[in-house]
Amino acid sequence: MVRMGKNDHATVRAILAGDKEAYGALVARHGASLFRVAFRITGNEADADDVVQDAFLRGYQKLESFESRSNFGTWIYRIAVRCALDRISAPRAAGSRVAEASDPEQDEVQVADRAASPERLLLSGEILALQDQALRSLTPMEQAAFTLRHLEDCSTEEIAAALGIAPNAARQAVFRAVQKMRSRLAPLRMKR
Amino acid sequence: MKHLNEEELVEHYYKADARAERHLARCAACAEAFVALHSDLAAIEFPALPNRDAAYGERVWESISASLPRLEAPKRNWLGWRLLRGLSYASAFGLLLACAFYAGRQWEHGHQPRVTVAAKQPQSQPATRPPERVVVVVLSDHLDRSERLLVELKHADADSEEMIKPLRDQARSLLVANQLCRRQAKKQDDPALDAALERLDRLFDQLANQPGGLTPAAITRLQDQLNSDSLLFEVRVLRSKAMDHEPPAAARSYGGTI
Repeated sequence: MVRMGKNDHATVRAILAGDKEAYGALVARHGASLFRVAFRITGNEADADDVVQDAFLRGYQKLESFESRSNFGTWIYRIAVRCALDRISAPRAAGSRVAEASDPEQDEVQVADRAASPERLLLSGEILALQDQALRSLTPMEQAAFTLRHLEDCSTEEIAAALGIAPNAARQAVFRAVQKMRSRLAPLRMKR
Repeated sequence: MKHLNEEELVEHYYKADARAERHLARCAACAEAFVALHSDLAAIEFPALPNRDAAYGERVWESISASLPRLEAPKRNWLGWRLLRGLSYASAFGLLLACAFYAGRQWEHGHQPRVTVAAKQPQSQPATRPPERVVVVVLSDHLDRSERLLVELKHADADSEEMIKPLRDQARSLLVANQLCRRQAKKQDDPALDAALERLDRLFDQLANQPGGLTPAAITRLQDQLNSDSLLFEVRVLRSKAMDHEPPAAARSYGGTI
């Protein structure tokens, strides 16, 4: 979760007073953390870049509603999570997504047409593909909740606030995601 | 022993719980399930996070800054604010004045001397009249005053000017009151009272408006008239009845406006 810069409040006041350029400081300060969570949720570098830009645009438009007692970093982080959720919820182009199979045992390697990074090339293609496929088989809400819990180390309450759902719903989303992931990745257990 | 369910194990995996930890220490089945869960979740590989250098934020800003409008600080309209504040004060002051006026009217109404008018009305009817000059004539008082005048007339020395003049003045005063009482007596359909008041009316009229003034001869004639028609007795009876049957004078009276 993003933490607060000390002078974020002063910067926000300057922006609201008409100093548009001051927003650049906030973008520079929080851009990297937004990219991180955006990439983890979308799993795609280009999508993550778009999410970061979209989040900062939305944040600027809603800046007047930002309450001074809030933490700007947390506030813009939540906006980014919502943007990422919207991104993975939107229907994707047919060629950019793996066809979802219902039977994990029939899931051989069906790798998404992603830009391969050097790190990914080092991983076992079969394992990575199965894990990626398992993750994409989750609902967008489960995927986002699981990512925030598993990778971003967010608490249930933080997940609920970021996704705009009740804490119990957030807990259930994480639990269902874990169940599905374990089920889909069961074949890997034999290979380990 | 109640085992931990899968949801509790997942919760414990992400956020260590002392109660779950104690249970896992005692329960081999749950411990085994937890180890399996831990193994599965820990084995999940995620794509490595692409590097973003320190200038990443600046590049993002460059890409979006052109599309952002400049936010304008909300302008304070001091003239409008002051006008609004002035209007607020004026409204409050006006409201205060209105309340004070209304309260004053209510107080005045509550403390206005009760003017009782027109007797022999049902008590449920209003006993007050609009703010005209009101002559209140209480029947028993009127009859009492009339009786005293008649007594004085009866025993008056016809040759004494000092005794005659007050009689004339009293008669003039009583004449007006008597007319009001007669009016009300007619309204109340009280023929006995009306008849007595009519005779008093004639007597008072003669006393007050005797052409050429109250001469000794005129006084003597009126005394004879008074003795002959038992008017004095009749007035005493009526006054006695009025005092016996009437509530306090202020509550039951005859009168009217002039």
